[in-house]
Amino acid sequence: MKHFFLILLGLIVLSGFSQAVAKEWGLIEKAANGQTVYFNAWGGSQPINEYIAWASGLVQKKYNVRVIHVKATDIGDVVSRILVEKAAKKQKNGSVDLMWINGENFKAMKENKLLYGPFSQKLPYYHLADIKNKKTVVYDFTVPVDNMESPWGMAQLVFLYDTKKLVKHPKTMLDLLVFARENPGRFTYPALPGFHGTAFIKQALLELIRDPEVLNHPVVRSEFEKNTRPLWDFLDSLHPFLWRKAKVFPTSASQMVSLLNDNEIFISLSFNPNSASNAIENGELPDTVRTYIHTKGTIGNSHFVGIPFNSSAKEGAMVFANFLLSPEAQARKADPKIWGDPTILDTQKLAGRDKALFDAVPKGVATLTSKELGRVLPEPHVSWVQALEKEWLKRYSK
Amino acid sequence: MMQMPGQEKSRIFPVFVMGLFCITVMAGLLGTLLPSINYLPVIGHTQFSLSPWFDFFAYPGFQTSLFVTLFSGLTASFGAVSLAFLFISFSYGNALWKFFEKILSSVLSIPHAAFAIGFGFLIAPSGWLVRMVSPALTGFIDPPDWIILNDPAGISLGIALVIKEFPFLIMVTMGALGQLDIEKILLAGRALGYKKEQIWLKILLPRLYPHLRLSIFAVIAYSLSVVDIAIILGPSSPPTLAVLILKWFNDPDVSFKLLAAAGSLFLFFIVLLSILLVYLIERSVYFFSRSFVTNGKRNSFLARIKPMVFFIVMCTIGFTIISLVVLAIWSLTWQWRFPDFLPAVWTLKFWVKGLISSFDPVMTTLFTGMAAAFIGLVLTIGCLEHDVISRKNQAGHNKVRNYNRYLPYFLYLPLLVPQITFMAGIQLLLVIMKMDGYWVTLLGAHLLFVLPYMFIALSATYLAFDQRLFDQAMLLKRSYTSVLFQIKLPMLLKPILFSFAIGFSVSVAQYIPTMLVGAGRFATITTEVVNLASGSDRRAIAVYALIQQFLPMMIYALAIIFPKILYYNKKGMQV
Repeated sequence: MKHFFLILLGLIVLSGFSQAVAKEWGLIEKAANGQTVYFNAWGGSQPINEYIAWASGLVQKKYNVRVIHVKATDIGDVVSRILVEKAAKKQKNGSVDLMWINGENFKAMKENKLLYGPFSQKLPYYHLADIKNKKTVVYDFTVPVDNMESPWGMAQLVFLYDTKKLVKHPKTMLDLLVFARENPGRFTYPALPGFHGTAFIKQALLELIRDPEVLNHPVVRSEFEKNTRPLWDFLDSLHPFLWRKAKVFPTSASQMVSLLNDNEIFISLSFNPNSASNAIENGELPDTVRTYIHTKGTIGNSHFVGIPFNSSAKEGAMVFANFLLSPEAQARKADPKIWGDPTILDTQKLAGRDKALFDAVPKGVATLTSKELGRVLPEPHVSWVQALEKEWLKRYSK
Repeated sequence: MMQMPGQEKSRIFPVFVMGLFCITVMAGLLGTLLPSINYLPVIGHTQFSLSPWFDFFAYPGFQTSLFVTLFSGLTASFGAVSLAFLFISFSYGNALWKFFEKILSSVLSIPHAAFAIGFGFLIAPSGWLVRMVSPALTGFIDPPDWIILNDPAGISLGIALVIKEFPFLIMVTMGALGQLDIEKILLAGRALGYKKEQIWLKILLPRLYPHLRLSIFAVIAYSLSVVDIAIILGPSSPPTLAVLILKWFNDPDVSFKLLAAAGSLFLFFIVLLSILLVYLIERSVYFFSRSFVTNGKRNSFLARIKPMVFFIVMCTIGFTIISLVVLAIWSLTWQWRFPDFLPAVWTLKFWVKGLISSFDPVMTTLFTGMAAAFIGLVLTIGCLEHDVISRKNQAGHNKVRNYNRYLPYFLYLPLLVPQITFMAGIQLLLVIMKMDGYWVTLLGAHLLFVLPYMFIALSATYLAFDQRLFDQAMLLKRSYTSVLFQIKLPMLLKPILFSFAIGFSVSVAQYIPTMLVGAGRFATITTEVVNLASGSDRRAIAVYALIQQFLPMMIYALAIIFPKILYYNKKGMQV
């Protein structure tokens, strides 16, 4: 009986709470009406740009929020603009209302107090997000998200290869070295400190390090040399067999798509498990391309949208962020024909029409099943990023 | 003689331009200087120190980066300048020269980014050139692992810079030639038994050079600090200094801003030093070559390299045209794999998509470019008129000050100081004054780069105008303004429109000012091209690059056609 009352009390409190949330959300939607949201997001991919245009159109229709996609080449550039605005004490009317962000950029924004929030808990669809199984939704490159950004999509490192050129793909980093020796010049990775290059190095470190446990903690300077020794030995033996003998590195993983299409390289990498399928749909890659991951698993993370502190359309930004979380938007995003970016929603929580939306998403021809994708390895502690980048530059960018 | 009216009033143009240019560039430099000595309160740096400089010099790869910057920038400048001089000496007036004169404006209008992309599609180991001969001649089934693009020494970058700077120098030279009495000198030289090249080398070049000096300095400054071409064709690890600095400015770790500030000032010093060096070389050449110039030898060792110079010039034209063709092919491609000579599957899809989604950016580009070129034109003509009036008054022994004497030094400021060095400072300033993100400020930033080129393009022809016609008209008792607008400007319509087209094309090509001053809110076709270039889809990139190229070309075409239509019945005006 006592338990019953406790539960009842809990339910009453909860419903009151959720009513309050709903009421608050109603106010947000009302305030958002008529606002213009400048959404700064990388603009290098036409499929993604078209997806954003689709979402903007719907939000305009449904909520009368006008979303303008400000295409950025490098979101770091947007971070620095907001920083300049803070320097100039521009507390409102900032040039950015919402931005696509994660990892280092998020860390920089959070540390410099450039973000508005916490806000993601206010978004009605946020409760469908899979915060239980997808740890990266709560820890962005090990930095606690603290509701300062709203999740948008998932990423996991995958390798791409052309089955016409390669019968058996490598399964470990050491396999990759063997492949490189047998096919000199047919593999490469993007230069550091670029995002994808760093991801490859972290993956190699995760596979090669003697005690992976140390990666969950901040870098200990005195032990860095000892811990990373196997990584540098591996790279030293790999580099002579890389594309252009490692004298030239691609600037990004996107550039490697063209290289793969031209057979300049036989193995490429991507952070989107669906990117190969999407590129095949798009004619950018031949339909003989497939993806694979290493036996130990590969690292993964999530990407988010965040609201700068000086946005004057915070409500509009939240309405758009919420729409991006909706099953409708997430299912469309997951479709390899559209973009193929994996959802952050817990599809188990969905029912009826929402579930049907996801059931209807076709599996890309080159996409691995979620079982094949297997265990997502967590990102090393964020302090490793800078330490690795610095050491890499010192060694290989002379 | 009576003082010409309007001298006092007309000085407002040069004074305004000098003030605007001086203040913005200086303010921009100050905005960079402070962070470089560790003063950037917003990230908690208020203690003056030189640590950003030490960090900069200690950055991994700094030395290589510096070397690559100097090597590619200086060799490219030297290459472009000597090629331009040699080409003029060999070809002035011949068929190739006339052909080049015809295509010059379209070549000049090609935006750097678009050219670099097309050039990359052409010369890469998997590019069109190799595809043309594979596998038939080479046996390549897969592209060879050659270092051509992004080579660590910056050679492909240097070649692209030469191809891009060469036509600019030819344009400047054409303007300067108008001020010398070429035909007479050539005739006199010929009568004395000198070979054509010798006349150029010994008589004309020494007189031509002073007119070109500032433009050559601008070429050096540009080659050392170029960003867009260097990202696409330059080395990657480490990249050139300018690219490295831009990366630091954009680094999420904000303390890199200090490093970037120090680096960009350092780049400015490098530019200044290089210019000083070239100046010293110029002086010593003047000094030591006297005996050469007056030794009386009529024959020329230069004749031997004549075929080579022609070949190189043909190559630059050829590369420019084929780069356009390969862009056009990619824009129509669905699937084009190595080593196919042409795409296996063609499509119009990317044009349809591109034309629809580029509509807004194209409109922004058109309006901004038109407005910037128009204001640029008003200011250029205002300054030049001030020059004309002042010279006339000085000739009449009136003590008046000709402000235009100092003008070029100010006009060249934005071309001599690396863009990233002062644009970042200006951005900070504009944000402080709450003026960023407005179209008007964007227009102002474009004007900084549009005006100098328009001035270079127009001044020679404008000053060569036979002022006696003006005086005649004045004698007919018309007012100054009506003579200016009804006689002089209509007669100069062709060069004026040409200068307008140059101003427009310069505005179209601006990337860094558009991003920094426009707060990212103004998407132009160029920002779209650069954005897409950071992705992978060559077909979409090609479509946008071609649209980017089409805009200035369209304006050039109008500048050529319009006077022909307007003056169809006045043959003398069509010249």
